[in-house]
Amino acid sequence: MKTLEQTTRRDHCSVSAELLLEIQQFLYREARLLDNEQYDEWLELLTDDIHYWVPGVQARYRKDEAKFSSERMAYFDDGLEYLKIRVARAKQPSAWAEDPPTRHFHLIGNIEVLPTEDSNEWTVHSVILNHRHRTEDDEMELKARRVDTIRRNSEGLLQLARRKVILQETVLQAKNINTFL
Amino acid sequence: MTESLLKPDSNAKLAAGIEELVDAEAGNIDRRIFWDESIYNLELERIFARCWIFVAHDTQLPNVGDFLTTTIGEDAVIVSRGEDGKIHTFLNSCTHRGNRVCFAEAGNSRRFTCNFHGWSYGLDGSLKNVSRPQSYSGKSNLDKSKLGLHKARVESYKGMHFACFDPEAPSLEEYLGEFRWYLDVILDNDEGGIEFIDGNIKSRLKCNWKFPAENFVGDSYHAPWTHSSALIAMFGKQPTMRPDRSYHANANGHGWEFGLDFIGNAATLNSPPIIDYLREQEAKFAERLGKVRSRMVGALSSANVFPNLSFLAGHNTFRTWNPKGPRSTELHTWVFLNANAPEELKEEYRRGVMLTFSPAGVFEMDDGENFENCTAVNVGVVTRQQQLHFGMGLDSKIEHEELRGNVYQSQINEANQRAFYQRWADLMGAETWADVPVR
Repeated sequence: MKTLEQTTRRDHCSVSAELLLEIQQFLYREARLLDNEQYDEWLELLTDDIHYWVPGVQARYRKDEAKFSSERMAYFDDGLEYLKIRVARAKQPSAWAEDPPTRHFHLIGNIEVLPTEDSNEWTVHSVILNHRHRTEDDEMELKARRVDTIRRNSEGLLQLARRKVILQETVLQAKNINTFL
Repeated sequence: MTESLLKPDSNAKLAAGIEELVDAEAGNIDRRIFWDESIYNLELERIFARCWIFVAHDTQLPNVGDFLTTTIGEDAVIVSRGEDGKIHTFLNSCTHRGNRVCFAEAGNSRRFTCNFHGWSYGLDGSLKNVSRPQSYSGKSNLDKSKLGLHKARVESYKGMHFACFDPEAPSLEEYLGEFRWYLDVILDNDEGGIEFIDGNIKSRLKCNWKFPAENFVGDSYHAPWTHSSALIAMFGKQPTMRPDRSYHANANGHGWEFGLDFIGNAATLNSPPIIDYLREQEAKFAERLGKVRSRMVGALSSANVFPNLSFLAGHNTFRTWNPKGPRSTELHTWVFLNANAPEELKEEYRRGVMLTFSPAGVFEMDDGENFENCTAVNVGVVTRQQQLHFGMGLDSKIEHEELRGNVYQSQINEANQRAFYQRWADLMGAETWADVPVR
């Protein structure tokens, strides 16, 4: 079996099939933990220096400024501490809006893994669809592109170190985001 | 004939029936006002096309040519900084075939040019050029001076720009009335005033616009219950609201519920530097505003400027509830802070508001669910005929030495909600502004 270093570096196939599979499985497992509201286990997948960012997206003219920016408002612009506060709220028995629970799935596609200068970190592109259903007919879909930094820690396990989620919508077509994307 | 098409008789009939729908004195409100299409259409005419509607803060459009797009009721408008340095607001609809002339949410431009036939408008909405003007040679009634984009009046209060489509409406100053004195708590607690942080989070709720507006005008009652999960997650306990040291105050349907605890709202932003800043400034606030108002700067509170501009002191967020039909509302959210506050506080406020009062925020997350379900149940024809109860604090009105407008003891109260619906009924029932009483 080829090691990572031996893998041919070409634009369309720059990492080994083995690593690609490992990262893909990592993302699928993460999605399942979120679907099942296993938030404590989800937090364990994050590095201590995680930056989790879902900026507000604006429709601006091509000649104009960027459609999003780190100085503008965001749905999430979180380190681990803020993510833990959000999880603590979701776990309260008095989170009335979560009972009966929302039925979720996170569908992950278009996974593309690119090496970085750090041999233990990869940039991972993906597209996600989060489908939510509540009560009888309350249905919401969030669609977004993601850019992740995935890092192998000292114990050899993959963790999420950075995530940027660019929503398709400029006007969120939902009353809230009661999950992570 | 044309007359009756423009002002259908049904308006008059409907307007006459408004009194039966809202008994603001006793606090009985008919649920049809949250559902019926005909009532909603009258709201667009008699409230949104008639009132002063917030369109932008001065700092959102600092340079000539800066613009943003938004709505007044369901009328799409462009708000821009003209070459004269003033803020202009006009319909985002070409006078030729009606197409939208601006598709961006914000930006900087010299002209707004229609994609359809290339008519182009200046920053004040005036028609500057038409493409192939020679085609109008010969007999023509093309008078560019009469074909500008339809303009609204624009007036401002301490950096907050409001627009109004009704030439008969009172000035913004009269419209806000005594409430200006309260607005100064956030707009004028420091000589530099406030600034808005760039960006604007927008989201759609499947609710009638009045549920969130009335929630902000006076509903601190819901906070310890609806937001129990967030309060416990962040503090491990509920906030203390003291009936003897808290109030409802309103004027002309604008209202603020508040304690005098100084930092109750600000504390939920989870930022020690923000609390330090407020404490350092407390004496300065008191000097500018007097003792009582200075205690409101970051206190447990919420407020609404009629009809649809809500804000939270201390949390430092403004938001508007833009109607999109009787059962749909578009929420626009901004973060603000004192312009003279240290630069690093900008990040603290920006991140703190997003943690608490954005659609993903630990507080706001639970609100949308309530507003939507309060609206949706009215699909039931029997349900819709029932009334809602707004009867808390019926005898709580007081005279206060310092507080202005109509003042009520205890922030756990429904006095401001009753005042909100009274104003709503006043406007819905009135043929013109002359029939709308000062409240």
